[in-house]
Amino acid sequence: MTGAEILLESLLAEGVDTVFGYPGGSIITVYDKMYSYADRLRHILVRHEQGAIHAAQGYARATGRPGVVIVTSGPGATNVITGVADAMVDSTPVIVIAGQVGNALLGTDAFQETDVVGMTGPIDKWTFQIRRPEDVATAVAKAFHIASTGRPGPVVLDFTRDAQVGIADFDYQPCRHIRSYALPAPADEAAIEAAAQLIDDAERPFVVFGQGVLLSHAEDQLKAFLKKGGIPAASTMLGLSALPSDFPYYVGMAGMHGNIAANLMTQKCDVLIAVGMRFDDRVTGNPSTYARQAKVIHIDVDRTEIGKIIPAEVGILGDAAEVLGRLTERIRFSFHDEWAASARRYECVEQEKVCVPETAPAGGPVNMGEVVARVSELSGRDAIIVTDVGQNQLMGARYSRFARTRSFISSGGLGTMGFGLPAAIGAKTGAPDRQVVLFVGDGGIQMTLQEFGTIMQEGTAVKVVLLNNNWLGNVRQWQELFYGARYSQTRLLNPDFSLIAQAFGIRYRCVEERAELEDALREMLDSPQAYLLDVHVREEGMVYPMVPGGRRMDEILLNKDEWYRDGE
Amino acid sequence: MENSSMYIISVYSENQVGLLSSISNIFTRRGINIESLTVFPSEFPGIHHFTFRAITTERAAQQVVGFIEKKVEVVRAFCFPDNATSAAEHGILADYLKNRNQ
Repeated sequence: MTGAEILLESLLAEGVDTVFGYPGGSIITVYDKMYSYADRLRHILVRHEQGAIHAAQGYARATGRPGVVIVTSGPGATNVITGVADAMVDSTPVIVIAGQVGNALLGTDAFQETDVVGMTGPIDKWTFQIRRPEDVATAVAKAFHIASTGRPGPVVLDFTRDAQVGIADFDYQPCRHIRSYALPAPADEAAIEAAAQLIDDAERPFVVFGQGVLLSHAEDQLKAFLKKGGIPAASTMLGLSALPSDFPYYVGMAGMHGNIAANLMTQKCDVLIAVGMRFDDRVTGNPSTYARQAKVIHIDVDRTEIGKIIPAEVGILGDAAEVLGRLTERIRFSFHDEWAASARRYECVEQEKVCVPETAPAGGPVNMGEVVARVSELSGRDAIIVTDVGQNQLMGARYSRFARTRSFISSGGLGTMGFGLPAAIGAKTGAPDRQVVLFVGDGGIQMTLQEFGTIMQEGTAVKVVLLNNNWLGNVRQWQELFYGARYSQTRLLNPDFSLIAQAFGIRYRCVEERAELEDALREMLDSPQAYLLDVHVREEGMVYPMVPGGRRMDEILLNKDEWYRDGE
Repeated sequence: MENSSMYIISVYSENQVGLLSSISNIFTRRGINIESLTVFPSEFPGIHHFTFRAITTERAAQQVVGFIEKKVEVVRAFCFPDNATSAAEHGILADYLKNRNQ
């Protein structure tokens, strides 16, 4: 069997049924063999390799299974680099198979040759160059093992032409053991005991959880832990949907544009339990002022995260599900009713000062948050919400309500504009029975606009809500607040999106008035096909509340002129 | 600010193309200059031993060690001040490999 066939057989052996890719000269042998695998392996032909990797990320985030990307050498490989870096920081299991020139041409500046191993090493979990056909199956097996275990991440296989065309026997053995790569061990008993003691002694315990809860499938363990300890909890942006929005102990999202309750309680708790999150600066503000009053328990599967930003009183290295399960057994039944109820007071302020004006304005142009809130209601909180990056993302995170897990997909750590459209394609491909709604701005949609072609060809029924304000809105917001309203290069002259939709054969409707919004949203959600809803939103729309960068998390702007004051 | 001083970062790894550059990138990304570097086969079969000397803080050195250990092919990494020596690391590594090789 050729190395190319061994690759495809190995993917099937790993249970892969869908790959995202783009052919080219150095991967043509694989595509040739793929021709005979069309009944077993669905290939989604994207329009740009960046689209392939973001789609694979969306697929992985929606399904929990690794996304697979097949691209050619040189520009094919460099075009996936952004997505590799994005998947690394957001812990997304993705396997990239990039063609490479023949062994004899390596290092000669051959046509479409580039140093993939050197370029991807610093931004992925593992890179391996396959030079011999007999190494293909073991490389693929290791790739799946590494990408999907521990803290998940992207893996790049640099697949030379010699390895593709050479002949070897096929014998697939899944990888379960790598000498130098240890899987998460059961957490240290003494650390669990110390953490349980701190939690039992706490008067104002507080949980901030991240995507680690989703990655370790620890949703039920988290709920049981919060219920038994009577502990209020906030989510990071990537942790959203791990708890249902109406879960009794849930107080909202923490961070720069998070909920007031989440941020204030972080600054008031006496024990902070961080679960599967990494204290990004969008969550901590100025880290030297973050939760200084609290003893911190940090649970993470990645040793380098513990103590990296915020010193931990107790660090627990381990899988979130396992650690939370054991902690729940250990802690006492507790009630912190007054403390937990303090969230309601902050929520009232936020409702009055921020949410109601945003989602139910008396008049004027349509607001971004209003659109998100209506989508959430009309979709019965059941959709997978995908966002691009910027105001659309922050509004999508703030005003979506979730009933099911794995329902929020966004580029968190890297903040990659252009992520949204292809990620939504991947999410819908992986979860065809779920409604997938993308919130995207007029800037970000033009970064990967070509993927409408993929939607057209594959018939992927994603619902695209374009929050169109003719600005690069998030940068414009910073310019207005912190750069003296000097709007340097943030004004966009946009194309006629109706013609773009028409060109790609995608249903389109434009909303300019509030009165049309609900009807248009219903039409979009009911559509069995892809839909582009172009909502002309308030041009100067702003995302509040906001903790300006580098501030303490209780220094919160409610609007342009008003800071939150505690106790009012 | 913590004081900077010379640290030795000692890395045991599988032999893998590209690993040295990947490890040195971990220093580069943090603006840490590598003062000296040696690479040689360790006394453990198939395991290479790198030693880096760099001027940095203890906290940064510990972080660098953590990120180096995250590299799949790295078996273990250690750091200690240049004025100390660690015989213990050999014992730790011998135990580790004994367990992992089973």
